[in-house]
Amino acid sequence: MDAFQGLLTGFQVALSLEGIMFVLIGVIVGTLIGMMPGLGPISAIAIMIPITYGMDPAPALVMMAGVYYGAVFGGSTSSILLNAPGISGTVATAFDGYPMAQQGKAGKALAIAAISSFIGGTVSVVLLMLLAPALSSVAISFGPPAYFALMFMGLTAISSLSEGSTIKAMIAAVAGFMVVTIGIDPQTGTQRFTFGNVNLFDGFDFLIIALGLFAVAEVCMLILNRKNRSLSDDQKLGSLKLSKADLKEMSGPVSRQSFVGFLLGVLPGAGATIASFISYIFEKRIAKNPEEFGKGSIKGLAAPESSNNAATSGAFVPLLSLGIPGSGTTAVMLGAFLVLGVQPGPLLMTDRPEIFWGIIASMYLGNVFLLILNLPLIPYLAKILSIPRPLLISLVIMFSLIGVYSISFNVFDLYMLLVFGALGFAMRIFSFPAPPFILAFILGGMMEQAFRQSMTISNGSLSIFVDSPLPLSLLLVALVSLLVPAFLKWRSNRLAYKQG
Amino acid sequence: MLASINRKLGLLLFIVAAVYLYLSFQLPNYEYAPIDADVIPKGLGILLLVLSVFLFFSRVVETDAEKAKRDIPKKELGVIAAVFAMIFVYILLFEAIGFIITTSLFIFFCSWFLGYRAWKTNILVSLLFPIVMYAIFVFALGIVLPRGILPF
Repeated sequence: MDAFQGLLTGFQVALSLEGIMFVLIGVIVGTLIGMMPGLGPISAIAIMIPITYGMDPAPALVMMAGVYYGAVFGGSTSSILLNAPGISGTVATAFDGYPMAQQGKAGKALAIAAISSFIGGTVSVVLLMLLAPALSSVAISFGPPAYFALMFMGLTAISSLSEGSTIKAMIAAVAGFMVVTIGIDPQTGTQRFTFGNVNLFDGFDFLIIALGLFAVAEVCMLILNRKNRSLSDDQKLGSLKLSKADLKEMSGPVSRQSFVGFLLGVLPGAGATIASFISYIFEKRIAKNPEEFGKGSIKGLAAPESSNNAATSGAFVPLLSLGIPGSGTTAVMLGAFLVLGVQPGPLLMTDRPEIFWGIIASMYLGNVFLLILNLPLIPYLAKILSIPRPLLISLVIMFSLIGVYSISFNVFDLYMLLVFGALGFAMRIFSFPAPPFILAFILGGMMEQAFRQSMTISNGSLSIFVDSPLPLSLLLVALVSLLVPAFLKWRSNRLAYKQG
Repeated sequence: MLASINRKLGLLLFIVAAVYLYLSFQLPNYEYAPIDADVIPKGLGILLLVLSVFLFFSRVVETDAEKAKRDIPKKELGVIAAVFAMIFVYILLFEAIGFIITTSLFIFFCSWFLGYRAWKTNILVSLLFPIVMYAIFVFALGIVLPRGILPF
């Protein structure tokens, strides 16, 4: 099936009544949860997963994808209005968006963010449509050693690109991998770390980890910040209209950063947050008047907003065509696929074209819906920011508990949700990043399987990972990605130590 | 010696790694697998052991932002502990008393405890939310939530 025919299949899914309805539900829920400061796309996806049980996979996954990019789209609203980023991908949005809002131009800032997001998202879907099929057809020949090396590279990349200490990020990744070893080993039937507890035989469901480590831990942070201001009723948004000069000023950053964002999204470990920062710095470097950045610059707002949305669709490239997520959020997306019995990867395009192309086609539609939601409807939508924090906290706790209960009907899992919530909170307090943990948890089982398959092929010799060029080069990239930042940090620390 | 927080965390993780590694060595053998179930856990245990030593000896100074994150007033930690206790009680009673009643009580008291004083809205939300969720899950999605002592 060629790409054109595939896309037609995709639009048949996306433009069916069911398709349109679920794209709309997805992007609305995504926008609303993304807007809530403190609740990120991982929580949004995890909270929505139980709703998809028993649904047809194509519309269900179209909806879940909508939740993801909708959350990134919607996160900018609270960055601009409250200076409290809705998600980590929109932190950079607040740099210039909030000053603009303080100058009474909140409406204009929201319009710039929405248009930049729309263009970034749409450009990136076009690129996704071109790149994902090509990568699928290459990846179809990958053997277990290459897969192992790819996943290993994903984990080292996310660790070295995480904010803060690389050692702590690696510890988080190892810990996530350790948690997935709990349960009955699928290959030998050996019980590992179950202590004979029947509830642990199947291991932990990923939803317990995702909701615990993100939703419940985010609730703890919300409790700490519950007295922060929410949107007051009298806040004026101002006009949403943009002048021709404004549009002209946006055009440069938006067209450049849509591509930058997409590329960073495709690469393992990066994603929307890093893309938005890099694009912001990029535009500041090349700007004629960089001193305007941080004081309400149109360029400084347009750059991260086009980039983070482009990165979101970019992240679907490795997920759809390799079946390997490159970030914490796409790891949870993979979980959503698996819950519905769909295995993404090189075979998805040929085996389940309606899902592969359906998701891609739905993104065109989703971005149009998001533009409508975030431009003319934004004054009404922003009202959700005035929900009192205590009520929001109670409701998110309830959504998490119901979500876990509805997968297993087992009260033991609810207690485990509490345990992982406490762990996630502790990780946040002590600056251990949570995304490497969830990525390692999702990849762990697949990595162990690929490792053991490789070793079976090679009769127990590790040389299989270095004998052929692809696994070797991937492992080398992984090594370099760990060592270079570690060395740079070590050197700067040493310098600081000597001077200080 | 344990002055810095990274030292304390390093030591704690070292103990976790050691216990995990000890348990990995206790795993039974399975003769017919070229790579047995204990290989990956042993590798992970050693890796965590090494990383915890690195963390212990790292000279990286904690940034002010990191320190600020850690600096939480005791009272606020008490609030979080109390919310966790409420969730614990909720889970304990959830199947016996049923979804609708426990959820209503939880939302009302948890929101009240966290400082929400608009009690009319609070009552309305705590009643409507569980009923709507119950209807969606049980009747639309076919996922059975505990009915408990209520007749429906």
